[in-house]
Amino acid sequence: MIYLGMKISTATRYFFLAIYNAAAFYVIPLAISFESWFLLLIIGLITFLINFTYFSERFQALKWITPGFIFLIAFVLFPAGYSFYVSFTNWSTGHILTKQQAIERLEDLSYSTDDQKGVEFDLYVLQDQDLNFYYVADLDDENLLFGRAINDEEYDDKFFATHEPSLKNSIGEIIIPDTYYQLSGKEQIANSSQLQELALLIDKNTRIKLYNISVFGASSGRLSSSQQKYSYDDVTDTLYDNSQNIECTLGLRGNFVCDGESVDPGWRINVGTENYQRIVNDQRLRGPLSIVTSWTFQFALLSVSLAFFVGLLLAVTLNNDKVKFQKIYRSIYILPYAIPAFISIIVFKGLLNPDYGVINEWFAPLYDLFNIEPINWFRTKGSSRAAVLLVNTWLGFPYMFLIVTGALQSIPKELLEAAKVDGASPRQSFWRITFPLLLVSISPLLIGAFAFNFNNFTLIFLLTSGGPPIVGADVAVGYTDILISFTYDLAIAGGRGYQFGLAASVTTIIFFIVLIISAISFRYSKRLERVYGNL
Amino acid sequence: MEISRLSSWFKTYGWRHLVGIIFVIISLYPILFVITNSFADFPNLANSKLIPDGFTLKHYESLSASPLIPYFKWLFNTYKIASIAGFLNVLLGTFAAFAFARLQFKGRRVGLISLVLIQMFPAFLAFVAIYLLFFQIGDVAPFMGLGTHIGLIMVYLGGSIGFNSWLIKGFMDTIPISLDEAAKVDGASYSQIFFRIVAPLARPILVVLFVITFIGIYSDYILAAIFLKDTNLYTVALGINIVFMDDFSNDWGSIAAASVIAATPIAVLFIFFQKQITGGLTAGSIKG
Repeated sequence: MIYLGMKISTATRYFFLAIYNAAAFYVIPLAISFESWFLLLIIGLITFLINFTYFSERFQALKWITPGFIFLIAFVLFPAGYSFYVSFTNWSTGHILTKQQAIERLEDLSYSTDDQKGVEFDLYVLQDQDLNFYYVADLDDENLLFGRAINDEEYDDKFFATHEPSLKNSIGEIIIPDTYYQLSGKEQIANSSQLQELALLIDKNTRIKLYNISVFGASSGRLSSSQQKYSYDDVTDTLYDNSQNIECTLGLRGNFVCDGESVDPGWRINVGTENYQRIVNDQRLRGPLSIVTSWTFQFALLSVSLAFFVGLLLAVTLNNDKVKFQKIYRSIYILPYAIPAFISIIVFKGLLNPDYGVINEWFAPLYDLFNIEPINWFRTKGSSRAAVLLVNTWLGFPYMFLIVTGALQSIPKELLEAAKVDGASPRQSFWRITFPLLLVSISPLLIGAFAFNFNNFTLIFLLTSGGPPIVGADVAVGYTDILISFTYDLAIAGGRGYQFGLAASVTTIIFFIVLIISAISFRYSKRLERVYGNL
Repeated sequence: MEISRLSSWFKTYGWRHLVGIIFVIISLYPILFVITNSFADFPNLANSKLIPDGFTLKHYESLSASPLIPYFKWLFNTYKIASIAGFLNVLLGTFAAFAFARLQFKGRRVGLISLVLIQMFPAFLAFVAIYLLFFQIGDVAPFMGLGTHIGLIMVYLGGSIGFNSWLIKGFMDTIPISLDEAAKVDGASYSQIFFRIVAPLARPILVVLFVITFIGIYSDYILAAIFLKDTNLYTVALGINIVFMDDFSNDWGSIAAASVIAATPIAVLFIFFQKQITGGLTAGSIKG
């Protein structure tokens, strides 16, 4: 196929194709070894698409479309489908791994047999800046072992102790590296409950444990042996707990159960519609979720209405040929729109600060007059919601002002003049002619603004983080949370573990709501065409 | 006589200026506040006011003082990510748009309709899946997994390519097809037509879309927050909102200075391209 005198463009094409395929064939076995089946699927699809497109001379259009669409498919369409799939699993903290990975992890766990043998030796306890514990064990002349001391759950080959002769100087004293802090005997006693759990690993079955804490001089350590805690039998699909000599059976939720207790880590399994059922039935979830959902709609609707109202007021006020300085007004009103929202939100956070904020200073006379406490903007449900809407109106009114002004100027003058001739008052011609026409022409944009605010994560997350919290909820959620920020807390940032499955099911609900909003928007656009077609 | 003329002026025009000026104050106050505060000599938020007593540059200097707050690194990261993603976005979008505007092929209509449908769903909606996907990508190819700029750029690429290629296609439709045909007669290939004729003529929309995509990525919070965990890799939106928030009141001066530096170029770009950004089809793509 490759022959001399090939066109440069063709040669370049084969060159890039070769690079891509080399990368793909490097990654595919890796994906198999990590059992990332979905990843494998998507890499396979992309590889097929690229080779199909660029090896052939026939599909001219695909050649242009493929590069962009690969990203569209991989990072927009695929995640949407994947998210749907995740919503039917129990993917969450404790169920992150696949079954195979979980079994491997379990088989790596070990337990120490209590009999500590051999002689005692000096052991020094250190801490690094992240407060992890490290041991230096002066085992014998050949072995000065150093490494992170870990508990049974943290077991990993990478923590194996290393021989560090450099930690001892010529006269046999131990030198502590600068980045570590050496704990005194008293400090060791203070931390003894934690230290008891820790061991310095030498190999898979041998470890060093702190044996005796000495307040003067060095503490001592001893070797202890350890055994594999669980053995997996793939014929019966059961786990055997070697430490307690019991057989563990397969549980129902993607884990093994030993003597009534489930073993951590488990793995992710398909749980059918359980997440959706929880949303509907689980009182501690349904309560907060219905608060969040109804506020999401209120927030989006009120945000659009308030911004539209202010924008309309300004546009109507200034849209008069004889009003001077219109350009100046316009260029100033654009400013709140021109500044990135994440900056404006910070500024408002300062302005609304209850103790030092300027907004409360302005209100001080009012507070005095009515003899009330200054409003702590972010503490109560009502005031924090008001603050959110206040800030969003400031952020949103310039856009509304611009589109309303544009729409007002596109309304045919003859129409208004005809109304005037027929004896309509300015008020009548505004409410009967201008306003309805305006509404029709900008309603697709209003719906767009509604959809935008429906998912206005940045505003909520940065201004209030969803707070103040809803008391008694099963999940981290607050009164100003909207669906998307609630989902974010649920999945990643709520501080109550990762709940990917549940979060994905809420995402699916948001998808459907956005779908409905889009459908409505489409219909309005059609109606708009009809109206202008008739004019 | 004078007074009655004044009152009639007020009834027709004066009140309009009154409303106008009230909103000028409302629009400008927070902006002026943060600008003056960034130069103001006061210890914390409690002592801040619109017209400060002393002038200082110390807040700006403090931004480059501490290695724990690598502000200019964040700024650099943000410009890097937004310009690479913005450029590739427009480039790949232009390729796709060219096919839709100039080539006849099976599935063209379906492709166009799906573009319109896809661009209605913000890419970040599926953030749970994106997180899990890149979590696994990180196992296989660590250089583009969670916590990397490359991964983040790829997600941004997917996010607005649908929107951009749709708009570019619309613009290309207005470029007379007779130009292509004349070139074709002279023996030009499709890539020559693209690079010599169509793409150069589409330059105005390409510039605008680059700016819009750039500003959109610059202001993004959620995707950056999902991806980036290392302080040194933060974008400026993440950095200001995570690192400075620990001691909001005492850091107020630095926050103000950081905000002014981060916002000014974007505001200037925005005002410069204001007509194109707010006009017509592109409306509502950044904020609404």
